[in-house]
Amino acid sequence: MEELIQQLKEQIIDVLNLEDLTPEDIDTDAPLFGEGLELDSIDALELIVLLEKNYGIKLADASKGKEVFRSVRVMADFVSKNRTK
Amino acid sequence: MTNQTVFITGSGIISAIGTGKDEVLHSLLEGRSGIGPIHHLQTEHTDLSVGEVRQTDGELRQMLGLSDDAMVNRTALLGAVAVREAIAEAGLDAEDMETVPLISGTTVGGMDYTERYFLDMQDSDEHLATLASHDCGTTTQLTARIVGLDPGRTITISTACSSAANAIIMGANLIKTGVADRVVAGGAEALSKFHLNGFNTLMILDHEQCRPFDRDRRGLNLGEGAAYVVLESEESVTRRGVSPLAVLSGYGNACDAHHQTASSDNGEGAYRAMQQALNMAQLDCEQIGYINAHGTGTPNNDQSESVAILRVFGDVVPPVSSTKSMTGHTTSASGSIETVICLLAMQNGFLPANLGWQTAMEQGIVPTMGVRDVQLCHVMCNSFGFGGNDSCLILSQPGHTSHLLPHISPKVYVKSLSTLAVHETTDRVKEFVSPMEARRMCRLLKAALTTSLTALREAGVPTPDAIITATTLGMLENSEKFLLQMCREGEHCLGPTLFMQSTHNTIAGLMGIKTRCHGYNVTITQSEHSIRTALLDALLQFRLTDAENILVGSHDESTEIFADLIHRLTGKQIPVGQSSVSVVLSTNPDGALCELDIDALTTQLDPSNVLHNL
Repeated sequence: MEELIQQLKEQIIDVLNLEDLTPEDIDTDAPLFGEGLELDSIDALELIVLLEKNYGIKLADASKGKEVFRSVRVMADFVSKNRTK
Repeated sequence: MTNQTVFITGSGIISAIGTGKDEVLHSLLEGRSGIGPIHHLQTEHTDLSVGEVRQTDGELRQMLGLSDDAMVNRTALLGAVAVREAIAEAGLDAEDMETVPLISGTTVGGMDYTERYFLDMQDSDEHLATLASHDCGTTTQLTARIVGLDPGRTITISTACSSAANAIIMGANLIKTGVADRVVAGGAEALSKFHLNGFNTLMILDHEQCRPFDRDRRGLNLGEGAAYVVLESEESVTRRGVSPLAVLSGYGNACDAHHQTASSDNGEGAYRAMQQALNMAQLDCEQIGYINAHGTGTPNNDQSESVAILRVFGDVVPPVSSTKSMTGHTTSASGSIETVICLLAMQNGFLPANLGWQTAMEQGIVPTMGVRDVQLCHVMCNSFGFGGNDSCLILSQPGHTSHLLPHISPKVYVKSLSTLAVHETTDRVKEFVSPMEARRMCRLLKAALTTSLTALREAGVPTPDAIITATTLGMLENSEKFLLQMCREGEHCLGPTLFMQSTHNTIAGLMGIKTRCHGYNVTITQSEHSIRTALLDALLQFRLTDAENILVGSHDESTEIFADLIHRLTGKQIPVGQSSVSVVLSTNPDGALCELDIDALTTQLDPSNVLHNL
């Protein structure tokens, strides 16, 4: 799981162009949206693409993202249970 | 003072619910939707429903008397069919055809050919020629050429989904100021894989038939088509002895200044556009008999537009419907397609239905499901676009006279000027935005933001009264990246960031947000004439409104791939990079650099000059 968490952090930084951040700067349990990283709705859509592209998980409803992207840990948990690649 | 009434003396339309006004009228009266499976567009998203025009490119060429091998993009073909109908109805003669300008809204332009051949073009010259009509301005010129109008008298507006409404507003301003006595104005947009995928990345497409204003609405269905009206001054109508179809009694253009791809919760831009239109038409809310809503069917638009309509109309909301439930969302053409639908409703006394609606949304508009035998004196037509470009038109029966407007030609001064040349870095943007904000911005957007905010700072104007942007090719770098990804990797797994910054009005929309400017906001894209047209439009605003300070910018970029294609096509060498110039124009001479000389400033702001004079 720790490996997946690290991998997700790197992918998030890459996909969302968070050039000034390193994986260590992202708190595994902090919220990605609202507070914490302060990402927005467009970032959420990019993360949905990330899930499909890298892990073969298709979220048909954008609002489902709200639950999945609560924190990197929640995201990692969701990926490990639902990944198809 | 002037009371130049703007008459509509001709109209033409082509859409998923019919080719020509007779067919469209029939579909509207029958409540028949044109939305269905995709037939013509070659896409992997075969499960999506769209509002396609039934004719193939070949059939459109045949209708227009063009040869089978004529490489004319679908947007120009659709435009020509609709312009031809409008011109015939207005009875313009051969002499008129040489002088009447064509003002058209489009964003897709020739993207249908470009996306088909983009990968081939990089290795082979076979389809390279289609690149010459890729841009929006050339597409309008193609339309003009096909119908016999002068391609040298064209203006193209690109404010995403409100483009056609803003083209009509520009045309009306030319008539009110006496610059023209007749114009053909409207918009055209063909379906493309590019924007179908773009909207798909934003997850705002309904996979079933769209349901505007319904509680369970899931999004929009894209459509395509074109529509144009002939606008004419009172003097010209009298001289020619023609009977007008209607009066364009009021209009408004405002910026929501909230988000690049979403409308604000209180619908501020839409509210202001509707209020401006009512004020110009000197009408009370009770006098509006019908509103043709923007009503895309996305959760965000229909909520925001409902709030805006309720803010304007309170407890006297007239019947409202979204005819996008029949035509699909025809994006840049929707403003004129819905204007012609409003004309038909007024002339034939009926309210078009809002198909698909079943359940009321919370605090939302309850749309009409269609009514016959009504008398309509005044109707309102809303068009909103990405970048918060919100516009509203009011049509009235021919007897209505328009509001008196101040008709003065104030002296205009250049308050400040800021440039960023092609070899300069865009690092200065950090003075104005946080790294979190800058991370998503492409190079041209950073450059444009830097020169715009520098010019405003030097002029001491935090919030201008209007923002007018000129661009020949728009957001080339982002469009190219999105296109490459789509052509190489397929139509799945595309992200929204590149697409939301690919529309031509990305810069003007962002400037609205950054300066909290809710005023007039427009993007002009007419090849090498873009900047001159933008400066002329600024003068129209100074003459017709009480604007004191207007931000005008000229922004363009080139990429390695594009520079190579242009070199192979034309032999010209263009540098790779971005170029951006912004000026603040003002009626206030205090601290001004000089009085405005359009010819001199055009030369100075011309992006091709900036690119070449290194």
